[in-house]
Amino acid sequence: MSGWERVRTSSSSSSRSPHGMGSNAFRELPNRIPSSRTIQLGRVQPQAPGHRTVFCNDRDANLPVRFKGNSISTTKYNVFTFLPKALFEQFRRVANLYFLTISILSTTPISPVSPITNVAPLSLVLLISLMKEAFEDSKRFQNDLAVNNNLIDVLQDQKWVSMPWKRVQVGDVIRVKQDGFFPADLLCLASTNPDGVCYIETSNLDGETNLKIRKALEKTWDYLTPEKASEFKGEVQCEQPNNSLYTFTGNLIFQKQTLPLSPNQLLLRGCSLRNTEYVVGVVIFTGQETKVMMNTMNVPSKRSTLERKLDKLILALFATLFVMCLLGAIGSGIFVSNKYFYLRPNAGDEGSGQFNPGNRLLVITLTMFTLITLYSSIIPISLYVSIEMIKFIQCTQFINKDLRMYHSETNTPALARTSNLNEELGQVEYIFSDKTGTLTRNLMEFFKCSIGGEIYGNGITEIERGLAERNGIKIQENRSANVVQEKGFNFDDARLMRGAWRNEPNPDSCKEFFRCLAICHTVLPEGDESPEKIRYQAASPDEAALVIAAKNFGFFFYRRTPTSIYVRESHVEKMGKIQDVSYEILNVLEFNSTRKRQSVVCRHPDGRLVLYCKGADSVIYERLADGYNDIKKVTRNHLERFGSSGLRTLCLAYKELPPDLYESWNEKFIHAKSSLRDREKKLDEVAELVENGLVLIGCTAIEDKLQEGVPTTIETLQRAGIKIWVLTGDKVETAINIAYACNLINNEMKQFVISSETDVIREAEERGDQVEIAHVIKEEVKRELKNCLEEAQSCLSSLSGPKLALVIDGKCLMYALDPSLRVMLLNLSLNCHAVVCCRVSPLQKAQVTSLVKKGARKITLSIGDGANDVSMIQAAHVGVGISGLEGMQAVMASDFAIAQFRYLADLLLVHGRWSYLRICKVVTYFFYKNLTFTLIQFWFTFQTGFSGQRFYDDWFQSLYNVIFTALPVIMVGLFDKDVSASLSVKYPELYMEGIRNVFFKWRVVAIWAFFSVYQSLILYYFVSTASLTAKNSAGLTFGVWDVSTLAFTCVVITVNLRFLMICNSITKWHIISVGGSILSWFIFAFIYCAIIGKGNTYFVIYDLMSTIYFYLSIIFVPVVALFGDFVYQGIQRWFFPYDYQIVQETHRHEVEGTSRARLLEIENQLTPAEARSYAISQLPREISKHTGFAFDSPGYESFFASQLGVYAPQKAWDVARRASAKTKPKVHRKNDS
Amino acid sequence: MPPETSTSSAGGKEGSSGPSSKKNSKKPKYSKFSQQELPAWKPILTPGWVISIFAFTGIIFIPIGLASLYASEKVVELPFQYDQKCIPSEYSNNAEAYIKSTTTNKTCTATFKVEKTMKSPIYVYYQLTNYFQNHRRYVKSKSEDQLRQKSAEEDTDDCKPEARTPDGQPIVPCGLIAWSLFNDTYKIKVKGKHLKISKKNIAWQSDQTKKFGSDVYPKNFQAGGLIGGAKLNESIPLSGQEDLIVWMRTAALSTFRKLYGKIETDLEANEELSLVIENNYNTYSFGGKKTLVLSTATWIGGKNDFLGLAYIFIGGLSLFFAVCFLLMYLFKPRPLGDPSYLSWNRNPGMIK
Repeated sequence: MSGWERVRTSSSSSSRSPHGMGSNAFRELPNRIPSSRTIQLGRVQPQAPGHRTVFCNDRDANLPVRFKGNSISTTKYNVFTFLPKALFEQFRRVANLYFLTISILSTTPISPVSPITNVAPLSLVLLISLMKEAFEDSKRFQNDLAVNNNLIDVLQDQKWVSMPWKRVQVGDVIRVKQDGFFPADLLCLASTNPDGVCYIETSNLDGETNLKIRKALEKTWDYLTPEKASEFKGEVQCEQPNNSLYTFTGNLIFQKQTLPLSPNQLLLRGCSLRNTEYVVGVVIFTGQETKVMMNTMNVPSKRSTLERKLDKLILALFATLFVMCLLGAIGSGIFVSNKYFYLRPNAGDEGSGQFNPGNRLLVITLTMFTLITLYSSIIPISLYVSIEMIKFIQCTQFINKDLRMYHSETNTPALARTSNLNEELGQVEYIFSDKTGTLTRNLMEFFKCSIGGEIYGNGITEIERGLAERNGIKIQENRSANVVQEKGFNFDDARLMRGAWRNEPNPDSCKEFFRCLAICHTVLPEGDESPEKIRYQAASPDEAALVIAAKNFGFFFYRRTPTSIYVRESHVEKMGKIQDVSYEILNVLEFNSTRKRQSVVCRHPDGRLVLYCKGADSVIYERLADGYNDIKKVTRNHLERFGSSGLRTLCLAYKELPPDLYESWNEKFIHAKSSLRDREKKLDEVAELVENGLVLIGCTAIEDKLQEGVPTTIETLQRAGIKIWVLTGDKVETAINIAYACNLINNEMKQFVISSETDVIREAEERGDQVEIAHVIKEEVKRELKNCLEEAQSCLSSLSGPKLALVIDGKCLMYALDPSLRVMLLNLSLNCHAVVCCRVSPLQKAQVTSLVKKGARKITLSIGDGANDVSMIQAAHVGVGISGLEGMQAVMASDFAIAQFRYLADLLLVHGRWSYLRICKVVTYFFYKNLTFTLIQFWFTFQTGFSGQRFYDDWFQSLYNVIFTALPVIMVGLFDKDVSASLSVKYPELYMEGIRNVFFKWRVVAIWAFFSVYQSLILYYFVSTASLTAKNSAGLTFGVWDVSTLAFTCVVITVNLRFLMICNSITKWHIISVGGSILSWFIFAFIYCAIIGKGNTYFVIYDLMSTIYFYLSIIFVPVVALFGDFVYQGIQRWFFPYDYQIVQETHRHEVEGTSRARLLEIENQLTPAEARSYAISQLPREISKHTGFAFDSPGYESFFASQLGVYAPQKAWDVARRASAKTKPKVHRKNDS
Repeated sequence: MPPETSTSSAGGKEGSSGPSSKKNSKKPKYSKFSQQELPAWKPILTPGWVISIFAFTGIIFIPIGLASLYASEKVVELPFQYDQKCIPSEYSNNAEAYIKSTTTNKTCTATFKVEKTMKSPIYVYYQLTNYFQNHRRYVKSKSEDQLRQKSAEEDTDDCKPEARTPDGQPIVPCGLIAWSLFNDTYKIKVKGKHLKISKKNIAWQSDQTKKFGSDVYPKNFQAGGLIGGAKLNESIPLSGQEDLIVWMRTAALSTFRKLYGKIETDLEANEELSLVIENNYNTYSFGGKKTLVLSTATWIGGKNDFLGLAYIFIGGLSLFFAVCFLLMYLFKPRPLGDPSYLSWNRNPGMIK
């Protein structure tokens, strides 16, 4: 799939979706106008009421409008707004808001606790959150600062003056040099290239690395030098800033003429200039108003499923809190009585209202509020901030720095772009993968060919090798020593190389074959005209590969002019002689997806007229001349062989045209070309007239290589219970091919294919009635779905039925996604082991993703590398971008970026699984420790006459969460490992625990809650009961604060020890944090009890520690409290072991460090071999009868289609003419070589 | 290989990918932390561990329990509940009226026998039940500052309703706790001779020295219409009023014991003790019991069988569980780390 197509499809898809980015009036307009029309060119575009007028080169004139400056700010806050805004953000969290309310409540007399109890933790939490925000924002600020201070040449007083970006203003004329970035959205005035053309790279914008062409208006070409440019006075009227990257409407009013502007003249900020010495442009949009900045806003933030479930848990806690308060309040209503004279219940002072038996309703109400403040610790306030910290470290330290996910070839480490979704990675059940660039390398290589019924090319594809080895044949691969190694060319056969083809049985066929490759294309040569240095700009890598192949066979295409193609041929007749031949190109019959072929009519130097044609086998075979049946048959066989080897094929044919026949045809062609209505259709019809009676030359086979380790990874992920769907723009056959190659589908599976390429549908399409077509397709799809579903169910009901796979194409998918059929589609696809969707648009990719996400409520992950995957990446729970060759667009939209598909295994099975496990533990442990702590308080309430007396000292309670139990839980969030990384990958099935959400089910929470109740009962009742008769050896008895301090000590110890029981691995940090927490409590108590002389707790800890009873208790109580948990864990592990526990046991004697280091090495060195062996094991058993047709990307039609925007009239031909103009001055160098 | 990459050589061969890439390499530096390879102890709760831990707990706990129990058994404790006994029979249905009346004679006598020899010091406690000293309104009804220093005499905000006299004079000590000071008194006679019940050192030192000021004297105390309990000698500073200090260390539960005094002479077994109780304190309105307790103390403190018994019980339970687990493992063995127990091996159909 070519990069061009991506932009086009993504732009069209977003305009189709109502919620797509900014569907404004300007965007709607171009879509309604047939793109083939050129008449709009001269028309003045209607101006929206809010257009902007920019006076070029005239700062004073622009002054009244007050355009925004060019400095950008990506920061969320500034110095003044930081506090209010950041605080507001914080209080949008329910827990924080709750604690704010409680803090306010606790300043009133109904509160049993002093405000410090709630204010201290809240402020600490807020402080940490604010510090984090400030830190992140300052980093952004520094980035902005660096960007804003980049230097750029601005025209001032006939000179280029270097000034920082931020001082560029709208209307300024500036100069951007080669490889420089555009500081703002510019209107291109002039370029050093002839014809005002410049080349830009948009990889920052949309990830495309192919160069794009922008062209200045002819009237402004001259304004290149500062002297000249300073004379430029014009007025630009254009649309208001918007976020649509591919549209632009405006006029340049210049020398009393109104010239329409199009996206073709617009140079967007973020792009960079290539192959052009410099350009001069006028600033149109600046800073925040540039299109790229308008696009970066409002990135939808995702929350993990676990976090949403956490919200439910918090809600449950609120409910528990309410019930507890209600119980206590009712109790207090019953308790209050005049008989407790010492409480003076009706003394009439302001505090007595709550205890006055005369008004029990008031008592209950007030006690309710009292208890809410008292039990507030049940809501773990520091939970969110702890989780945030943990996830942040997980991202920055673990995921970003994992050496196993570092790709050394492209120098790309993994990148977690959000820290919200770590644990979501551990629960993914569906992966939606793009094909090209994700599963495959998008690196087309000419691999084999068949000429005149003879196969050339000794290479063996992975699929072939696997097939052979499965059949027990050992393939010896003996590559010739002198193989030409070049990007795009991986061909090894001495029979064709270095002119050796002359000795082949049919050298003439070979010659035509090579000529066809060298002539029949729309590739632009670039750079030096020598075979080593030339670069080809092609619409698709397939095309480039073919031209490169021709070059290597001795037919070096080096120059294109509007009328000719120059080929340097090593000629047959004159051995070894190199000859530059120019072919006059008379007509180009372009590729499009209905024609599936491309033809060129050229005149040979000897005057012959030849039509060269290449295209899909199906369309070429239909148009072959009669006869030559042997060759047709043999070539057909070859095509099938190539196809089943996973290669993309094209048929090549030619035809000699008698001059008179050509002339009459050419008239029709010119007529069709100049027609204004249905031009495309007429052109197709005319092409049909000449493209027949062709002579088959042969076929080519191009390999689209799989990324390293893809089959292994897919196999591993499937074992992990993850279902992988491939969503691709490719044709059905190609997609199935790749699915076979990468292990997704094999012949043991039952395949359901729902394709729109059936006779019924085709017939309907030929009749051409849109309504009828829609109806027919829908009925067909419905029927197919129903059949498949029935079959699927019968397959599933039998125990050992085959696995199922579904292949569906985009057109059918469109109807299958219809609300009436959606349920059926979902039922079918969820039962399938693998699903392949072909020919889908980016929008459909997103629709399929959300179908599963919303319809099946499963956790989805999308992975892709290009702009066409953005919508899918954003739609899924987790979006992963491949940051490889293709640029940044997908990465920008993604949550995680990795360099290779195979790293997905590490990302999910290691990081995702661990993160999930850790976060689950953190959450449940938080839940447990706060519940236990609060329940003790609750039990105490029963024994204080439901008065809401606090059990713990204010400071003890407020520091419980933030100091005495804070650190260990962070440790488990960072360090807990059930099994090592290597075992995680070795036993991918362990991942299913995450998919089933084993560790954060209500059942798990309930078990924790049960033990929480048990522990709190033990802790409270043991400590309080035993204290009744507890005395020191001097006979002194304990007061309430002695008992509570003792209980608090026991809670801190118990909770910290319980923490150790949840750890699978205990590092020194665990020990330090647990020991430190307990120690910190004692140290705090020692200091606190000694300093606060007047408090209730003065000297309490020392008094306590002077008794034997204290020591007996702190040994006994934690042991008894943890007794239950221990028994439970013992029984659970023995009788109902989790999978990870079995794995732990199996590998209990292994030292992890060494095994992992070894694995790391293997990972880096042996992966291709491993991948191969997996490919072998998963090959289809019978040769599938399909051929892979190479040029099947829908975007192939027009070379510069993506950038045409409104005006879209240019054909490859125009481009070729323009590009060739540039080479004119170099004509003399003809015979250099 | 350059030194900085050699440290990361454990990460594979990439470390030596050449000097050109080294300059701009984004390759993460190897550290045990970021590669999550920190050395760790991975305990597995194998049957062996479970059994040993239970056995160990049992072996440790039972001796501790026995020792505690022994110490507790050595404590001689003589409880004497008098709340009903000290109500004259004519008031038995109307105890509240009796106790509230200012005219009735509250003195009450009783005798009981010392069952075992009690070595001095013998502690005299009073025990109240159903008395909510931990009630929120009660607990906070005192002024710590006022108790501590004379200058904070006016600081009575927390003490309502016992903060000030009707004419606005601050009450010292203010608040409900002080106001409801326990006022039963005990006298004990052995063979007709009064035993001295010492009131010295019956409070925690920390309370006495830091929480109750030596320059704070009672003032306006129990001067209002409602009398809650005992009156204080206004010539003794609060730090010397040990009864008050004991009372004001509020109890944790509604049943509590407080030290009344100490007897510094031994009591022989079978000696007859005769008690003279001034039964002044009203617990009758809320049905609270009053008990006088004579007790000795050992290293463990007072009589506290609960602790020893609990230790023994848990120790026993641990041993029991150790045996249980042992039997379970014997009768339902599971080979450690047997892959056939893995869920996907147990029911292979699970993965579709």
